[in-house]
Amino acid sequence: MECPVCKNEPMIVLELNEIEIDHCLKCKGIWLDAGELELLLGDAEKGRELLEQFQIDKSSQEKKFKCPICGKKMEKISVGDKNRILIDRCKNGHGLWFDQGELEDVIKEGTFDKDNKVLNLLKDMFNAD
Amino acid sequence: MWELIRANKIKSLVLFIVLGFCLLLLGIFLGSYYGGQEGGMYGFFIALGIWGLMSVISYFSGDSIILMMSKAKPVTYDVHPQLFNVVEEMKIAAGLPAMPKVYIIPDPAPNAFAVGRTPEKAAIAVTAGLLSTLNRDELQGVIAHEMSHILNRDVLFMTFSGVLLGSIVILSHVFLRSLWYGGGRRSSGNKGGGQAQMILMIVAIVMAILAPIMARLLYFAISRKREYLADASAVRLTRYPEGLASALEKISNSTYDLQSANKATAGLYIANPLKQKGRKLANLSSTHPPIQERIAILRGISQGANFINYQNAYSSVKGGYGRTNIIPASKIHEKHNVALREATTDVKQKTKTKTVRDLGDLMKKVNNFVFVTCLCGMKFKIPPDFKEEKFSCPRCSRINHVPVAELATLAGISDVIGK
Repeated sequence: MECPVCKNEPMIVLELNEIEIDHCLKCKGIWLDAGELELLLGDAEKGRELLEQFQIDKSSQEKKFKCPICGKKMEKISVGDKNRILIDRCKNGHGLWFDQGELEDVIKEGTFDKDNKVLNLLKDMFNAD
Repeated sequence: MWELIRANKIKSLVLFIVLGFCLLLLGIFLGSYYGGQEGGMYGFFIALGIWGLMSVISYFSGDSIILMMSKAKPVTYDVHPQLFNVVEEMKIAAGLPAMPKVYIIPDPAPNAFAVGRTPEKAAIAVTAGLLSTLNRDELQGVIAHEMSHILNRDVLFMTFSGVLLGSIVILSHVFLRSLWYGGGRRSSGNKGGGQAQMILMIVAIVMAILAPIMARLLYFAISRKREYLADASAVRLTRYPEGLASALEKISNSTYDLQSANKATAGLYIANPLKQKGRKLANLSSTHPPIQERIAILRGISQGANFINYQNAYSSVKGGYGRTNIIPASKIHEKHNVALREATTDVKQKTKTKTVRDLGDLMKKVNNFVFVTCLCGMKFKIPPDFKEEKFSCPRCSRINHVPVAELATLAGISDVIGK
C-alpha cells in the first residue's frame, strides 16, 4: 500500500502488542484499515462512539488525498470541539489517514482512554520520531 | 478404492456424452436459425470446435487456469508449516503417489478446493481465512475432504464437465443476447420461409433457455453425490468426523464472500463460496448438498469411521430419501473396523485480535511481504515494493536492514510460477 501523501512511497506495517499500524517512514503518517481503530482501542463500543463523533468537513481547503486501497479521493473529517483535528476518511469505508501526531490528538479528544493505555502504547511505538 | 474410481469413470463418460450431445444439438439449432439447413452444419461444427478447443485447453492447463482465476498463490513450507504437515499427513493416509502442490488464496473468506487431472499432478488451495479460523483437527478434515476428491478422480470429471457446461452456457448466452440486442436475422425477400423461420426461432430460443438449465441440473446432481463421498472418505482418513463438521460449520457461519470465486468455479470449493439469500431452488441447482445436512450427517456418525458408519448416518438424516447408496457396495463391507479417535488436545481458543492478526500476516506472507523484528520488539512487515535497504525503527531508532536478497527471491519465485 502506498502512502496517500508521499505517493509512490510504500508504507510498512508495524506491529507491537497485537496493535498493527500502516506507517509511512517518510512523512510519519498513519493509515488505519477499517476496524483497526476499534482493535487499537480494544473495545468495539468505544470505537463506535469515537467514530460517531466524526463530522464531515466540507469547508476545508486542505489538499484531498486518495485512499491507498481504492484510489478514490478521501473526505475530510473534523474531530473535537476545542482543537479541530482534520483527518482523512475513505468514502468507501476502507480506512482512516492520520498525519503525524493526529492519531494521538484524536485519542486525547476522547474521554474513554482513562489510564492513557492507548496513548502510552502509541508514544512507545513512535518514541524515536 | 478401485470400484469407486471405475464408477466415477463410467459416470463421467455418461455425463460427458450427454452433455456433449446437448451442446452439439444446441449448435445445430442455433446454426439453422441463422443460416437454414447449411447453417445447422456450421452450427454443429462451431459447437464441436468450441468444445474440442476448450477440452484440450482444460486438459493441459485447466488446473493452472483455475488456480490463476481464484488468485491462488503457491507457497513454501515456511509460510504455514502446519498446513504442509497436515497435507503430508493426509497424503500418506490416502496413499497418494505424490505430494500435492499447496496454494493459499489471500482472501478472508474460509474455503478450499483441489485441482489436478491425475493424483500425481494435483494441487490443493486453501484461503487465508480458512487457515486463520480453523484449528488443526478442522483443517485436517478439510484437507482430507480435498484429498478424497483427488483420489476419487473427481477433479478431472469436474473440470471436463465444467468445461462442457461452460460451452453450453456461452453458446446460449451469446445467442439470447444477440436476439435481445440485434432482433435476430430478418429473412427479407423470402416470405415463404417466414413460418419455418418462426418455428426454428422458437425451437432455438427454447433450446437456448433449456439446455443450460438441464445441463446444470445434471452436473449438479452428480457433483452433490461426490461431495457426500468425499465427506465419507474424509471421515475414514481422519477418523474424527467432528473436525470436518465443525470446519463446515465455521465456513457456513462466515459472513465473508470469496471475492475471486464465480459461478464457473463455485462447484470446486468445499462449500459454496457464493452466498445466496433465500433461494428456494437452492437444493436442486446447487453443486453442494446443504451444508447443515452434511454437518448433521457427520455429527450423526457413531461407533466407527468406516464407510458403513457414514452411510448409516446419511440414511438416518435423510429419512425416506436416505435409502440411496452413496457409497459403492464394495466399500460398505470393509474387513477392518476403523475406530474413531479423540480430539487432539491443542484446542486453544484464539482471541479475536489474534485471529485477525494471523489472517493479515498470512495474506501478507502470500503477497511476498518480508517480516523483520527489531531488537526492541517492534515487528515490521515490509512490502515487496519497498525501495530502501535499511530504515530506522520509529520506536528505538535502531537501524534495521531490509533482507533485500529474500525479497528478490520471493519476487523471483512468484515470477517464475506466474509464467
